[in-house]
Amino acid sequence: MTGTETETQTQDTHEPNYDEAFDVIVVGAGLAGSAAAVTMAKRGLEVLLIERGSSPGAKNVFGGVLYTPTIRELVDFESAPLERYVAEKRFSMLSHDDETALSLRPGEWNHDPHNDSYTVLRGEFDEWFAQQAVEAGATLVTETTVTGLVRDGPQIVGVETDRPDGTIRAPYVVLAEGGNSLVSEGADLKDTESRENVAVAVKEVLEFPERDGVIEDRFRLVGDAGVAYQYFGEGAVGDAFGGGFIYTNADTISVGAAYRLEDAATQKQSPEETLNLFKTHPAVAPLVRDARTVEYSAKTIPEGGAESIPDLVHDGAVIVGDAAGLVLNNGVHLEGTNMAVESGYHAGRAIATATERGRRDADVLGAYPADLEQSFVVQNLQRYAWMQEAVEADRDLLFEALPRAFADASTEYFRMDRQPKESHAENAKRTVLDALGGWTGAAKLALRYRKVVT
Amino acid sequence: MTWTIVVGVKQVPDADEVGIDPDTGRLDRANAPAVMNPPDRNALEAALELRDTVGGSVLVITMGPPNATIVLEEAIAMGCDDAVLVSDRAFAGSDTWPTSLTLARAAETLEADVVLCGEETTDSSTGQVPPGIAAHNGWAQLTYAEELEPQPDEGRLVARRDVEGGYELVAAQLPVVVAVAYGEFDPRPAGLHRKIFAENDFEPREWTAADLDIEDEVGLDVSPTAVGTMETVEPVERRSELVDSVNALLEPLEETEVVG
Repeated sequence: MTGTETETQTQDTHEPNYDEAFDVIVVGAGLAGSAAAVTMAKRGLEVLLIERGSSPGAKNVFGGVLYTPTIRELVDFESAPLERYVAEKRFSMLSHDDETALSLRPGEWNHDPHNDSYTVLRGEFDEWFAQQAVEAGATLVTETTVTGLVRDGPQIVGVETDRPDGTIRAPYVVLAEGGNSLVSEGADLKDTESRENVAVAVKEVLEFPERDGVIEDRFRLVGDAGVAYQYFGEGAVGDAFGGGFIYTNADTISVGAAYRLEDAATQKQSPEETLNLFKTHPAVAPLVRDARTVEYSAKTIPEGGAESIPDLVHDGAVIVGDAAGLVLNNGVHLEGTNMAVESGYHAGRAIATATERGRRDADVLGAYPADLEQSFVVQNLQRYAWMQEAVEADRDLLFEALPRAFADASTEYFRMDRQPKESHAENAKRTVLDALGGWTGAAKLALRYRKVVT
Repeated sequence: MTWTIVVGVKQVPDADEVGIDPDTGRLDRANAPAVMNPPDRNALEAALELRDTVGGSVLVITMGPPNATIVLEEAIAMGCDDAVLVSDRAFAGSDTWPTSLTLARAAETLEADVVLCGEETTDSSTGQVPPGIAAHNGWAQLTYAEELEPQPDEGRLVARRDVEGGYELVAAQLPVVVAVAYGEFDPRPAGLHRKIFAENDFEPREWTAADLDIEDEVGLDVSPTAVGTMETVEPVERRSELVDSVNALLEPLEETEVVG
């Protein structure tokens, strides 16, 4: 036996205790949580990031576009695992068997920074993003579910987890637990969202085993270019209020549908039936032909808009990301990832400043909601706050009558027979006007929705 | 008198993640992450239960590359007191003979009263290492142990062993090597603070072959195992036949003596 390397004395490891060892606990290592963690770690705070999945992103079934202007500022974006940049956006109205679509391919999107719009696989991306926080000094604990908050009077002073010896205390808690925010709701920090304001999303990831290049051929792509297709109307989600989508990843595509939980409950329309209906629409089926399903998942999305944002700041805690209802869906813009990152960033800055000043009351955290209100996040949500209700009131017109009328009008307008074009144009115009309620109806509708794009 | 309990653990490819390539039909092990050999969790739990009853300390040991530290951290998170990583290029190619010699020397150095191991490892499934440790040290062995009853006053450990057709109760004098039956001793979850400690602040001790004075007794050259030939067996071609009646089905079954 040689030297001291094999001394048998054991380290004193019996009762490690990390109460008050961290400045802040972040609940959830998604985009909002990791953005907050990396922001605070870079300011020198001791951050504990708690994730319930076996790795960050392991529980995530998001399948859309990641908008990255803030992430690019926070971390070394060059090393991020991206699938494709969005080179084409397509908005498509589907009736039972018609499609009327608008496709946009601005040349600028093909050049760096690609309008900061990328498809990603969140299992890989979130793990990478959380790793950026760890490299900045944060401590990540996985396979641990936060089950509640610890209070000292009104003050939130820590979290409880599902592990033995599972309570840990720290001056601040960032709640980044996602749309299904059981901890925030359980602690009465926010109300449970009504089912009218929650969407159910179902998604399949498909691969094309037959040969390489199927995605490039079908979606007209070169290199890292990709597409984001959004579909509306009864052909996309039946009688429900929502839409369908297709996004291209590097070697797979994500196909799905999202619609109100209310409709899933009352219209007896199951997510599985809805997605199958969408996938078999004559305009969609050729895009997914001969595909093999590699993943099937479902989730909920908070879509209450500006009115549903809870109090973001409490004594010792802040709420960020989907847990704070920071998702925008106005039909044209489907955004949440950028808002999650932005809210985590502002919350992280506020807590770092509060920590540096040695204070922990709600007032000093007020910088977070104040900054957020000045940011695009709240401004955008307020701008489109009216829309949810308007679209709901017009749903039959927008999702059924109009898609059909446009399809019928195109059929009329381009009809090949022995009638003059003038009568075709007249028929086409009448079809649309009938659906809209004449010129007056059309003018009212245009006025009502002008703010979607202007 | 308290016991020094040593547990041997191993890093293996995660069997849950070893997928089958749908195109070739072959096992895809390359993408499987390395995890703790699942039967080792049962051995760790058995060790912690012994410590709960008798008192003493649980020391965990693994042979492997530097990144095998992760399985040691997991054991520390569960509640083990200390850990040793035995790592050396000299171990490359070792079969169960030098492996069990290494673990035997380490257990001796740690002054083990009891050594616990999982029943076998899921990546090689020989089950030879626990008896090998006992043989190298001339210690008693208890394999396929379903239950353990420590008798510290007598310096004895009694095991209920799973044997064909039933079980037997065997008492062994310390020091003893135990192979814990897979699936017995449901492992406890790691406590939150211990998990944070294990993953962030704990450093295992590191020993080399020279530290154990066995640098000339390990590695490929001294491993007696030799793989003869490998044979890939083609599946038997199956014949399908449709019959119209139960009797028509019974007849060929009787012919092939499936039913008598």
